[in-house]
Amino acid sequence: MASSGQTGGHAPPPHDHVCLDYAGPAAFEAAAYDFLAAGRAAGEQVWLVAGWSPRDWDFEPVVVPVSDHYPEGAAIEPAAGVAAYARATERAIAEGYTGLRVAADATPLVRTPVQLDAFARYEIQVDRYMRDHPFTAMCGYDRARLPDGTVEQLACLHPVSGAPFRLIAAPPGRGDAALAGEVDETTRPLFLQALRRAELRPAGGELVLDAGELGFIDHNTLLHLDAHARELGATAVLRTRLSAAARLASLLELTALRVEQMA
Amino acid sequence: MRTGAAAGHTGYFHAAVQYASDDELLAVTLPFLLGGVAAGEPTFVAFGERTAGLVRSALPRDSGVQFLTGGAVYARPAGAIRAYRKLLAEQVAAGAGQIRIIGELPVAAFGNTWDWWARYESAINHAYDDFPLWSMCAYDSRITPEPVLADVARTHPRFALPGGAHAGSPAYLDPRDYLSESRPPAPDPLQAGPPTVELADPTPGEARQAVHAADRGQLPASDVDDLVVAVSETVTNAMRYGGRPVCLRVWSGADRIVVTVTDRGAGPQDPFAGLLPARDQATGGRGLWITHQSCNHVAACGDDEGWTIRMIAGNTEAG
Repeated sequence: MASSGQTGGHAPPPHDHVCLDYAGPAAFEAAAYDFLAAGRAAGEQVWLVAGWSPRDWDFEPVVVPVSDHYPEGAAIEPAAGVAAYARATERAIAEGYTGLRVAADATPLVRTPVQLDAFARYEIQVDRYMRDHPFTAMCGYDRARLPDGTVEQLACLHPVSGAPFRLIAAPPGRGDAALAGEVDETTRPLFLQALRRAELRPAGGELVLDAGELGFIDHNTLLHLDAHARELGATAVLRTRLSAAARLASLLELTALRVEQMA
Repeated sequence: MRTGAAAGHTGYFHAAVQYASDDELLAVTLPFLLGGVAAGEPTFVAFGERTAGLVRSALPRDSGVQFLTGGAVYARPAGAIRAYRKLLAEQVAAGAGQIRIIGELPVAAFGNTWDWWARYESAINHAYDDFPLWSMCAYDSRITPEPVLADVARTHPRFALPGGAHAGSPAYLDPRDYLSESRPPAPDPLQAGPPTVELADPTPGEARQAVHAADRGQLPASDVDDLVVAVSETVTNAMRYGGRPVCLRVWSGADRIVVTVTDRGAGPQDPFAGLLPARDQATGGRGLWITHQSCNHVAACGDDEGWTIRMIAGNTEAG
């Protein structure tokens, strides 16, 4: 399975941060093989972070037990988790690789609500690191072994996923975060949860969302974005191609949300 | 301090003018406008090109009367209410004791979309009642269909007569009663055939996809985007407040897209739903209000299947 096959087609120019929503170990192994093989071909150091070692692969990844890199059974500390991969990436570069690529089965790390909340925050922070460093990852979540709704909370934080919307790191200089896909009544709770977890702190009074790949946003979500920005003492700026979003914002007379129409 | 026929009246003083000649129109209009200007009241005309020209040429130079572009004001009822309420609030904030407006709907409003303009004429008795407004709605009886004139009598408390007098309209109904009546829209010919798409219990996302699939380039992209918003809001409301099953039907025509959403509910309780933003946001009223501002026609009524909302983007006058 090629990593690019995971995209819903709306992702911004990808930094390879893939959510693999899988069922059963064989599916993860097949996807991990494809993902790491592509990295190996590109001269990257490749890690398999899982509870097992591959058999019958035609290359040998660095096999890292989950508990070696993550606090299995406890909640991850997001900044420490990002720092660990940053150090590993720098080491890989120092050793002559073009970057670091990791396929990690993160299922054991998100079993409880506390673990899940911390790991979601970590996913957001590590996505920002991946956006402009030679570090890529495929995060596997075994739906069958997790409570309902868990994978949905995580998939929307990955630029390459089947989630209906993605709140992810914006390309450099293009805003505080990128929003892609569709947000409506059915996905709004997930979006608002992701927004809170992203802890966006606007610079210069503006919280800029690069929404060039946004396909739909409903009026209620615009109201929530407006309220969120007001709570932060900021103005939310939604840069989108959707003419309807600008019209809705005008109808609703929102004062803490500005929709900027992209060509 | 209010002047003229509305002196001593609280809130909205709403009158119709039914005229059969230009002279009759001017006989009511000119004293109304000049009286307003003389009293220092903000005084507006929202007529179409021909009648605006007639009035303008009959008024003295620099009369002080302000002309609004009638066609733009009267594009969609919910938009007209929103625009007028904004204008009225601005005038009151600037100190106006009374505002005078005479307006005329474009003839296009008397076709298949008349039902929502009739609802407009009724709803504004409530929607403008928190302003010291004296307005007249002019109807040319030579070109206005009889059923429209019947609705005019039922939605206006009074008629303005030449010479400044007014006569009560015996047919007038309180807007809550008028708006609670069943008002099935004129059927669109496309609805006589099978829908292009029919979905049971669609998610809002599936409903949006169905509209995009019906888009064969026959409408401007922004009209399709607006219809997508309307349909998404309507399906969301049907899921939340109506009863399942929710049925979405889409007809794609050469110059329009027609969409119906049917649920098993009884429809909104608020008779002003759609024309005014709901005060209580937990009723779906704002979604319906947005829907009314996103389509060229929206109509709703109960039927054998439950409650059906029909939305049209593009040509509303087929058939």
